This record gives sequence, C-alpha cells and structure tokens, in this order.
Amino acid sequence: MNAIEKKLIQLKKENRLGLIAHAVLGYPNMEKSLEIINSLISNGSDFLELQIPFSDPVADGETIMKACEVALKSGMNTDEAFELVGNLRRAVNVPILLMAYYNTIFRYGIKRFCKKAKDLRVSGIIVPDIPPEEEIAEKFITTSLEYDIYPIRVVSPSSSINRLEINARFARGFVYCISHFGVTGTKTVVDDRLTRYLQRVKQIMKLPVAVGFGLSKAEQIEALKGVADIVIVGSAIIKNYNEGGIKQVSSFIKSLKESTMGKGYI
Amino acid sequence: MIFDFHTKYDGDGKGHFGEYGGRFAPEMLIPALEELEAAYKNAKKDKKFEQEFLELLHSFAGRPTPLTFAKNLTKKLNGAKIYFKNEGLNITGAHKITHCLGQALLAKKMDKKRIIAETGAGQHGVAAATVAAKFGFSCTVYMGEVDVARQRPNVFWMQQLGAEVIPVKFGSRTLKDAVNAALKDWITNVESTHYLLGSTVGPHPFPTINRDFQSVVGMEVKEQIKKSEGRLPDYLIACVGGGSNAIGLFYRFLNDGKVKMIGVEAGGRGVEKIGDHATRFYGGETGVVEGYKSVFLQDEYGNLALTHSVSAGLDYPGIGPQLAYLKEQGRADFTYATDKEVLDAFKLLAKTEGIICALESAHAVAGAIKLVPTLSKDKIVVVNLSGRGDKDIFIVAEALKDKEWRDFIRSKVYEY
Repeated sequence: MNAIEKKLIQLKKENRLGLIAHAVLGYPNMEKSLEIINSLISNGSDFLELQIPFSDPVADGETIMKACEVALKSGMNTDEAFELVGNLRRAVNVPILLMAYYNTIFRYGIKRFCKKAKDLRVSGIIVPDIPPEEEIAEKFITTSLEYDIYPIRVVSPSSSINRLEINARFARGFVYCISHFGVTGTKTVVDDRLTRYLQRVKQIMKLPVAVGFGLSKAEQIEALKGVADIVIVGSAIIKNYNEGGIKQVSSFIKSLKESTMGKGYI
Repeated sequence: MIFDFHTKYDGDGKGHFGEYGGRFAPEMLIPALEELEAAYKNAKKDKKFEQEFLELLHSFAGRPTPLTFAKNLTKKLNGAKIYFKNEGLNITGAHKITHCLGQALLAKKMDKKRIIAETGAGQHGVAAATVAAKFGFSCTVYMGEVDVARQRPNVFWMQQLGAEVIPVKFGSRTLKDAVNAALKDWITNVESTHYLLGSTVGPHPFPTINRDFQSVVGMEVKEQIKKSEGRLPDYLIACVGGGSNAIGLFYRFLNDGKVKMIGVEAGGRGVEKIGDHATRFYGGETGVVEGYKSVFLQDEYGNLALTHSVSAGLDYPGIGPQLAYLKEQGRADFTYATDKEVLDAFKLLAKTEGIICALESAHAVAGAIKLVPTLSKDKIVVVNLSGRGDKDIFIVAEALKDKEWRDFIRSKVYEY
C-alpha cells in the first residue's frame, strides 16, 4: 500500500486534519535545508512536500520563487535534490511528496526520475503544469503510477465540474486544492465560496481534499476543520525561517500541528 | 474569410505542432485558456469580427504597410533583388499592434475590463497600452528591470498611454521573467483580466491566434510582390525572438513550396557559450516552460539559461512552437547574426535606404546581407523590418560610441 494511503487511514482514525509541510530543497543551502526539514518532521508534519527548485516557477509567489533562486545559486539541482532526499530517508518515516515543475522531470527523463524517486520511497509527485490533456503524449502520469508514485492532481476554484471530472480520472491519494485565485503565499480567507468549492471537489473527485496556498495562521486551520482533510503550509514556513531561523520554524510547526487536532478529518 | 486558411504545418486541435506546443499550464489558467480558445473559434467564423479587425488595421494601425524595393542595397550587394516589408510604419512603430488589436477585440467579446501584457523591448507593451487606451481597458505591463533600464523611452510612452508599468525584479530581469510575472498576475486576476500575450509563444491557443492575426503581414506581401514582380519571392527573411513577425510573414507562404524561409536569431556576443546569445537552435534543447513545449536555452536540469542580445526584443530563451516545428520539418531554416553584424547592418540600411530600423529587425537585414550576394540577380528576397529604430536611439548611440551624443546626454544631466 502506498504510504499516502496508510497516512490517510491514520488521520481518519485519529480524527484530525493532516498537515503537509513544504520546503524548497537546498534552501538556503544543502545543510540548512536538511535541518529545516528535520524540524518539520520532529514537530509533527504528517507529510513532507519537497520542492525541487526551478528557474521559472510560474505558480509560485515571491517567497518560494526567491527561495528557488537562492537554492539554485547554492548549487541545488535534480541530482543533488535526490541526494538530499536520500539523506533524509534514513531517518524519516513520513510520506514524502516531491514537487517539481514539469521541465525538471522532462529533462531528467520521466522514467529515470520516477525510478529514482521510487528507490528513495517517494510516495507522490506534485506537478503544477501538466494538465491531463498533455498526458496522451507525455505519459508522465502513467509512468509515475507504474512506479506506485501517486500523481497528485492540483485543482483551483476556477476548475469547472468538467475539469474536475477530467482530473478525477488521474487523481490518486488526495486532491491538492488551491485555496483562491493567486500564487503561493498570498492571503487566503476561509469563506463560503471556499467551502462550496471544496465540497464540489470532494463530491466529484471522491478523494480527500488538501488545501494550500496562503495558509499561515492557526485560525485559518481551525476554520478549515470539517471542510478540508489536509492543510498545506509552504511560504509561511520559509518566511518564519527567514525571520527567526530553525527555532522559529519549530515553534511555528508545533503551533500549527496543535490546531489540526480534534474533529478534523472528514 | 481571412482566417479560413490552412497549411499542413498547422497544429492539431490541442495546439500541438508535432512534438511542440500544447497547453502546459497550471489548472488555474485552463478555464481562461479554454474561454479564449472558444471566443477565437467563434470570432474566426464571424464576418463582423473580421470586418472590425480589418477596419482597425486600415483606419487606425496604418495598414497595409509598404513593401519597398531596396534599389541601392540591391546594387551594392550585387545579387538578388531585395524588398523590405516596412512594419515600422504601423502606429506604435512595429508589427505588434496587429495582434494587439485582434486580441483586444477578443477581450471585448469576453467582457474583460483589464488587460495585462509582458514586454521585452517595450514594443509589445506600447502596442498593448495603445489598444487599452483605445478600447478603454485598464492596463498593466510587466517588464524586466534590465529592459526598463535599457528601453526607458518606451516605458515613458506606456505611462503616457495610461498603462501601469511594473518592473520585474526577479530571475534574469528580462523578457522571460516578465512573462512569468504576467502569468502570476493572470493566475491571481483570471476572472476580470485578459492576458494579451505578445508573441507566438505560451500555452495554446496563444501561438495560433497570434499567428493568425499576424498572418496579415504575409497576406499583404503576397499581394504587393505580385503587383510589383508578378510572382512570388524566392526567400523570406525575418528576425526571430518568440517569432510573431517571422511566422506572420511566413504563414501565408507555407503552402508555396518554392518559397524558402529563413529566421535570424540573436547571436549576441557569439554562439559558442550559453549566456552570450539567444540562439535557440545553437545549444537549445527541447523543454517545457511557460506553458509550451519547444526548444529552449537551458541547463541539463531544465533551468532556463541566461541570454544576451543587443536587442531586448530577441533576448528570450524560448521560440514559438510552430517555428521549432517548421525547422524540424525542414520547411524553414535558421541562422543568426551577432551584435556586431547587427549594428553594421543597421548602419548600412540607414545610409543606403534611408530606413532606421529596430535592432531586432536589423538581425533580418544582417541575414540578408550574408545571403543576397550568394544568389543570382533574378532571385527575389523579402526582408521583414518588424519595427522602426526610434526606441533604440540610446543603445545605438552608445554602441557606436558617438561623442556628440554623449555630450548631449551629459548636458541634459547637467540641466536636471
């Protein structure tokens, strides 16, 4: 069984929201990056979303984009990223999701990328810029499934029922729901529109829903209880690191984790 | 109907030109791209839309632009006959206004109140700001900080036209980053905003709709050359950044097998080293960036490479997917011109023909200067001058180390 499934069962049993903590691999450098990720784990992140930095991250806001630039400058690349994941793997037991823009995977070779990821027990891959329509020629989703790596589908409030149905055919594990119209790290308000959208996704795609983009506060997470199954936090972690280093990241994740407890998972 | 034209080099229903093209966009943008595609499909068949488009081209943009026989240059190079398609005579000084008017009509149909655009040299930005003023849209233009610095006159004009110009301060701070910034804006404001993308790049349907609007250039040339020469040309030459002026000239000739096509890329300081040039077909590889698959200058991990060109408009690591396909199919050939060759071509054109062209277009002239002497005198070459050179006054004066110009700038600084 894919480790994502196991985790979802656990969350249901414990009746709480799942927490996905995001990090840019190699930010601000290899060594510190490893420290940040370890603190995400030790403070209770349920999943890790590890982003391979890319020069032109179109869906990312300023914080993650800058982090990608810094990481690339410090020498991060796909091979180094796998090495970092390999180093982590020895100590980590939470499911790892890789996040990459499609060109990173395409250039590495789809099969080679998936095989490498599988060897490192990666459970899922999030690629924001490969719609199902391109799958016919690219065979990225099919290949990742061959290696039992879940291709996590990303949908948005603008996704029509038709779009959700098309994505449903390829979705596994959970659905990554972008909370609002915007790039990563921009403010999200949990309102009726968001609630209705998450219900729509759940109904059509028949999978747990993870909400991301612009989450940074315990109140937002409280408000998502009973509405979402998983919350994803990214830019806010980097901002906390930039402000107060590892120590602040640890207390930030700890406080988020506390707010995920109780009456969460639907 | 002018848009009812097909070639065997067209994309499939999903905008794939062979291996290239497609719609590699985040899910957030798919609905907007579908909406645009549907609006265009309807407009294409709509007689009224076509009339409105052509009327704007004639009464506002200044079309048709002239096709000028270059008598002096032809004599000097002593080979094929040279004609220049002078797109610099369009309002705003370049071919870009053509697809801007087309897209503005589509934006109106889709009931959008705001347009955004990216720009390199500023030509597309000025054209976008112009149609925004004319149609009453609010307008934001993204421009790399490096380009803002080297193309200040166009920034000033965009602002005079009522547009907000936002300098992009990340990445290489040039055109590719402006595209990125515009896409991020579109992701954020997708319901109210139309992204007036400025070249034949990006996710489907942009490469196709911009090509169709720009194909007016080739249509005009076909008529004009038949009138003056009674036959089709042997060669078409155009500079290639994203490719809008090149495909605009080429498209209507794709079915005429005997007409050869040459795209001239930016050779910068020379094509040996990545980072020194913007010549995708020397050192570029297939990749998927900014919503489309094509040939990109990139490193082995897929990160886009830095590019260099004396002309901001060609300083871009990707190329329109249909042009990559035409190259693969052997239907179009590509060459390059270095910054130095471009400046020489610019000077020669000004002195022999009395035309001050944009540095982008001077790449095509440089290509012609190399080709024409190798051809016999009965051959005909049409060179696309995509824009006029006014905007480049600072760059050219600096490159030519003009002392009087420097004194002038100094005296201006002193005045301020």
